[in-house]
Amino acid sequence: MEILSTVTLVVAAFITALSCFAESTRRAIIFLSIQAIAIGSVTLVRCLIDLIVGLNIEALIHFFIAFAEWFSAAVVVPLILYWGVVKTENAFDTPVIGVRRLAILVASTATLFIVLWIFQPQTSQGEMITLSFCMLMFSFSAFLMVTRRDSLKILVGLNMAENSLYPLLAEIPTMLVPLILALMIFVTAIGTYIVVEAYRDHGSLLVDRWRWLSE
Amino acid sequence: MYSLLPLLTLIVPLLAGTLCLFTCLFRFLEEFSRRTSKILLLTSAALSLVTPLTMIPYCALGEVLETTGLGLRADLSNIAALVSTAILFFLVSIYNMGAERGGRLKPGLYNFFLLLFLCCMFGLLLSYDLFGIFLFVELVIGVSIILVAHNPVKESTEAAFKYLIITAISALFVLIGVLVIYVLTGESNILHLVGDSEKQAILAENPRLLMFVVACFIIGLGADIGLVPFHGWLPDCLPASTIIINGFTAIEPIPLILALYKLVAPLYRIYPSNVILALMLGTGLISIVFGALMAYSQKNFFRMIAYCSIDEYGHSLFALSLISPEARSFLIGQFYLINSTLAKTGLILSLGSVYFNSGDSVMDSLGNLIAKMDKTALSYMVCALSLTGIPPLSGFYAKLLFFGESYRFFYKNENSIIATLIVALLVCISIISFIFLIRSFHKIFLGKSRKNIDVKGDVPILMWLPTIIIATATLILGIRPDLLLRFIGPA
Repeated sequence: MEILSTVTLVVAAFITALSCFAESTRRAIIFLSIQAIAIGSVTLVRCLIDLIVGLNIEALIHFFIAFAEWFSAAVVVPLILYWGVVKTENAFDTPVIGVRRLAILVASTATLFIVLWIFQPQTSQGEMITLSFCMLMFSFSAFLMVTRRDSLKILVGLNMAENSLYPLLAEIPTMLVPLILALMIFVTAIGTYIVVEAYRDHGSLLVDRWRWLSE
Repeated sequence: MYSLLPLLTLIVPLLAGTLCLFTCLFRFLEEFSRRTSKILLLTSAALSLVTPLTMIPYCALGEVLETTGLGLRADLSNIAALVSTAILFFLVSIYNMGAERGGRLKPGLYNFFLLLFLCCMFGLLLSYDLFGIFLFVELVIGVSIILVAHNPVKESTEAAFKYLIITAISALFVLIGVLVIYVLTGESNILHLVGDSEKQAILAENPRLLMFVVACFIIGLGADIGLVPFHGWLPDCLPASTIIINGFTAIEPIPLILALYKLVAPLYRIYPSNVILALMLGTGLISIVFGALMAYSQKNFFRMIAYCSIDEYGHSLFALSLISPEARSFLIGQFYLINSTLAKTGLILSLGSVYFNSGDSVMDSLGNLIAKMDKTALSYMVCALSLTGIPPLSGFYAKLLFFGESYRFFYKNENSIIATLIVALLVCISIISFIFLIRSFHKIFLGKSRKNIDVKGDVPILMWLPTIIIATATLILGIRPDLLLRFIGPA
């Protein structure tokens, strides 16, 4: 595992943790975009170097795939969510469990991760680091989803969870990457469409204001 | 045998759906689209039924039709499910002719999503590629969510959002499971994985990772199916969707439950651990008990049928998870799954007809509808009796086989006391199902109406005909179960 990749994953995990505390929907979307940029940039730069050095078709295809992955996660998906904000409102809310409790939860999860990683056998530390960071980011994204009432922030959390799996997607056949990306964009578009429709029906982005089901 | 028929099975509904989509893209075609949308959907459903039907003679002879390269394959393990899915979709399309009243989606777009939904269900049944299964799972869920939101009432958006969040997270679990297997073995085709001893050894050497993958698949697909404890969306989605969408989504468990089996069973064969069986059987059993008990206390018939569905999904998963070397569980499980889906679709459509005429889904408000809705009442009664396992309906034979296999499995692996207790529990659950379904029939069709609901007559023929056909099918399959059983075989 290269040091640069590790640093990028640490930065991406830190941004994901920060997004848990974002007050406005717009800020949460910005965090989503930065997280995606951080996760995808190393692969993108590596593919670019391969392309410049190798100058072959295979390197070109890999570069395009990496770029598509990076572009969809860092630009397309945030733009779809931003369209949702334009159609509705930029909602402000705080975590339902309170900022302090959430901070303790995030810090303890990060600490637990570090402790578990340190106590791994030396041989498997390198192999497990990508999967471990993915799981850490996935947990932070889950915190964002479960502690917010703003439906668009919940969608941001969902996309952050999807982004956190991107380092693992590097292993899959290149032909499948565009399909998976298209599917993820499709799900985000559906989610945003439903939120916009719900806002039209209920006049609010907050899911607890939609509560006919519990009545 | 190399064949393009499996690929054609996917292409037909997709192509028909795309054509429907074109009719709503251009303004000058809007009026045409609005007028012809129902007939277009019915024609497309009929066309989509042709390809699975043409594959029956080959599969019945034991041939395997395979589109290599795409990991698509039709054989005795999936042909019965494929044809059942296509027939049920066609029947619900007939129901749609009488019941569809429009919604948030334009008619062309609505047809496109319905046919895409059918294409994804076919894909789930035919695909033996891990990534293919993931793509179809994610797509089938995405489309179902849109269809739930189609209902132009306030309730649908919240239910759809809840459905989206639960199932989108669960799809990530499926992706994690698929990625772990692929990263470990470098193989994405399930059949190649099972046939390659080197790759099997790699998986068997990592039992913890294998358990993690199995857990990911159960969480991922369990949430999509609506198994306990990942069922949160299901009781909200049924009352919030249109009655037709409820009919279409009632078919969804056939491909989803078989996909779960297709993913987990090979892993169990590679590493036959009791933990895998415990996870599958446990999830099934919890769903059975929880579903039946929750359904018992419901007053809204859509919520009752939602919990009843959870109970039935649990039964199907439980039956499929009684894995034995003779592969009887697959045969019995699939037979049970198809039968329960058949009866459940009949129930959901009948209840949809009641809602269509009365505009109410609270059972206490309804009553004495049998005089005016006799055909709907008849189909509801037959499907309810079939679902609870009353002879001579198909549910009886399915339950008989299921109870027998459960006893045999637990007798072989545990002891006679546990086997007897399990069968006794399953019989008790069936009695509970019988009670709440008969009580619902009494409240809706026989009891005295508390509200003054004006029901002028039965629903149009296009709505009661599919339910009567389904009720007749449960009767025929009850008398001649071999008509279905001969088309089910091990993978």
